[in-house]
Amino acid sequence: MAAEANNAKPTFLSPPQEGEKPIVSLRGITKRFPGVIALDHIDLDIYPGTVHALLGENGAGKSTLVKVLYGIYTPDEGEIIINGRPTRLTSPADAINTGIVMVSQSPQIIDTLTVAENIILGLEKYNHLVPVTKVYKIIREESKRVGIKIEPSIEVWRLSYTQKQLVEILRAILLGAKVLLLDEAITYLPIEEKQRFYKFIRQFADEGGTVVLITHKIYEAMDVADKITVLRRGKVAGHLDRKEATIEKIRALMFGERSAEITYERLPTAQPEPKTVLEVKDLWVMGDFGGYAVQGVSLEVKKGEVLGIAGVAGNGQKELIQAIMRLRPIIKGRIIYNGEDITRKTTYYLRINGVGYIPDLPAKYGVSIENSIIENIAVLPVYSRGIINWDKVKELALKLIKEYEIKTPSPDTPVKFLSGGNIMKVLVARELTVATNLLVAYNPTRALDEATAIKVRKVIKEKVLKNKVSAIIASEDLDEIFQISDRIAVMNSGKIVGVFPADKAKREEIEHLMVM
Amino acid sequence: MVIIRRVKPLPYWIIPIIALLAGIAISVIILYVLMGASPAAVLSAIVYGFTRPGVVAKTFVALTIVGIALLVSFKGSIWNIGGEGQITFGLMAATWVALFTALPYINPGLAQASMILLAMVAGGVWALLAALPRAYLGLDEVPVTLIMNYIAYYIVDILVRGPWLGKHVYNYIRTDTIPSQVMFPQVPGTTMTWDGLLLLIILLIGVWYLLKNTSIGLRIKILGNNPNLLRSSGISVPLMIIVALTISGIIAGSVGALYLGGDVYRISYPIEVHTANYGYTGILVAWLSMLELIAVPIAAYIVSALYTAGIQYQILVGGHLGQLITAGSAIVDVFIGSILLMYTILITISEYKIRIIVKKR
Repeated sequence: MAAEANNAKPTFLSPPQEGEKPIVSLRGITKRFPGVIALDHIDLDIYPGTVHALLGENGAGKSTLVKVLYGIYTPDEGEIIINGRPTRLTSPADAINTGIVMVSQSPQIIDTLTVAENIILGLEKYNHLVPVTKVYKIIREESKRVGIKIEPSIEVWRLSYTQKQLVEILRAILLGAKVLLLDEAITYLPIEEKQRFYKFIRQFADEGGTVVLITHKIYEAMDVADKITVLRRGKVAGHLDRKEATIEKIRALMFGERSAEITYERLPTAQPEPKTVLEVKDLWVMGDFGGYAVQGVSLEVKKGEVLGIAGVAGNGQKELIQAIMRLRPIIKGRIIYNGEDITRKTTYYLRINGVGYIPDLPAKYGVSIENSIIENIAVLPVYSRGIINWDKVKELALKLIKEYEIKTPSPDTPVKFLSGGNIMKVLVARELTVATNLLVAYNPTRALDEATAIKVRKVIKEKVLKNKVSAIIASEDLDEIFQISDRIAVMNSGKIVGVFPADKAKREEIEHLMVM
Repeated sequence: MVIIRRVKPLPYWIIPIIALLAGIAISVIILYVLMGASPAAVLSAIVYGFTRPGVVAKTFVALTIVGIALLVSFKGSIWNIGGEGQITFGLMAATWVALFTALPYINPGLAQASMILLAMVAGGVWALLAALPRAYLGLDEVPVTLIMNYIAYYIVDILVRGPWLGKHVYNYIRTDTIPSQVMFPQVPGTTMTWDGLLLLIILLIGVWYLLKNTSIGLRIKILGNNPNLLRSSGISVPLMIIVALTISGIIAGSVGALYLGGDVYRISYPIEVHTANYGYTGILVAWLSMLELIAVPIAAYIVSALYTAGIQYQILVGGHLGQLITAGSAIVDVFIGSILLMYTILITISEYKIRIIVKKR
């Protein structure tokens, strides 16, 4: 097993093959932020024609490292060597000029423009006098070549998340990318879309391109990478070749002693009480692009149980969850919470009556990153009606920071200075505290690394078992569904196609129902 | 030498101060090149402005209050450009109390309070009218509030030409002068009134408390940063937009009463020529304060000192150069424009820093 990297003399577990030179090399890259060392003497070699995965738990320094590679951050120490030449990257434009292009987890494209307009924006070689038809032609040809299907004349807001990511990739390729930085760019894609992406990544590398895949999901790295570098607490924990890598090895490097806690065993099954906490009756909800996303869904959640909703992304789970939270209009049907019809009630009513909510994309919907941790807690109506008792909120914040091991200099720190995983922890901690009766969640652990995700599931389940709280959790991660649920409902094309007790459910059967 | 993006922002007070100094320097150059104005005279006028708190006081009070008003809505990313209209509506309401009710003769103290309170209500209503389409139809509040300034002007103009035209004004088109009972008493040795000073203190403390300790204040701040969080927390976003803009209008409206009771004592036609433009100048105050409440009075003092300096310069050299008779307010505009320009440029530049790297051999 690889030991912690020695700072003074880096050890390279996978030496370059004969005659091959790295396209990008990092030597002693160090980046400090007030109070923390985000990167501590990182050494890394990336070779052309390979897919190189950068793995690490939340807050390990992956994002910072990518930002250094993309010219967003300038390192305090160390050197970036591109094609054998020491290079100083001071802006993304610099990076793009050297052939390094980043695709991030949140698509950086403008919703009101068309695909073609978005793509041409960043491309200097196609100036604004080029006829639209020619641009369309270039895009169609190029997208066909790389195996991406996209219609250039469509406005971006009509596209799904996956398609937006495809547009980003296409733009990167048209920009002449030799090194693609994928910063959690595929983490949020549904499984079958991921497979298509893997194929594309493979093809890109086989044609001599280089892909740096930044992820906290081990299987993503195992699926597609040739080489894996694990970061831990700002240092290189080890370099692995795909051939020698095993999940156990990687986990040990990523989490150290915490890797022992990783298990996908089912958490204890709850003994629900007969009382129904949430009942959904024949619910019809519209999607974003017209048409019914939820088509006559009926389900119920008993007091003290977890109902998991399994399904491939885009089958109406998001709309169902939002309708339950009263964030989306209900066209037909009824929702009953604690015996009361809430079809015409507001989100506010739910929030002051013991309902916690963990939305998807936490930084966008669940927290305000410019505000402090305390303010992000105080915003909930249960803590702020009229005058805010800051002492009380601060006390709670300190308690949650300790309980959930949130890494932050203080509770007054703006959330934007926390790592993605820690932001998610702030959200989960806050929502579990207000969920005295019901927790509604959508992909609650997607932004978290394995060890933290499992911990969050344990905390949720503990709350369900101990305090008899109910939970309805929709997730695209079947491992999560199996681990935490007491009953599993499968959602497909806006309908519930089957409900199973989790301890007797067969994985194959559920997978089959999900894609049928 | 390389230019890189800053990770840690500069302390927020540095930029306004550099902008101020650079803006003054540029103004001096512009005035010298274009008008042959002696830099010494301009600078001495500026020194005069900054060292005469008693003279500056009236403008200072008005601009601080407008600055506070705009800060409340700016914190929520609601860009209230309608301070001017809200002030005009406040002016109208206060005039009504002073001229068309018997209150000034019954209870002058109550009358003065009513002038201010009713002005606040009127300012609030005018802002609310802009807030509703913003909240429920998503209509951009910037053009709406801006256009409503002119509607407010013309409503007052119609009143002054018609039903409110004074009986003792000869051929001037203006209202009668308000009764002396409701002329706000002045703080001795200054141009400001006790009413204005008191109101300023109440508003400063009130808004500080609002933003720091109340749920409304916190929600306004979060509205400015991420309205999605409000939504998922169960708080109505349209309602918070209405609250932020209306509070802003209520505070701005009070300046209309101060302007009437402590400065002009009547409305002259056309109001758009006779306005002090506090609603627009207040935008500069709010920006120079970097949306920090404690910095609003400082920014207001600086702007009002420059305002006074422009007028003082006109007095100093007015007889010397004929064209300078109307140049007083133009000089104020040069100052304010230069500072705002410098401020805008520096805000962008401040995100970067220059680092000189010596190459090791």
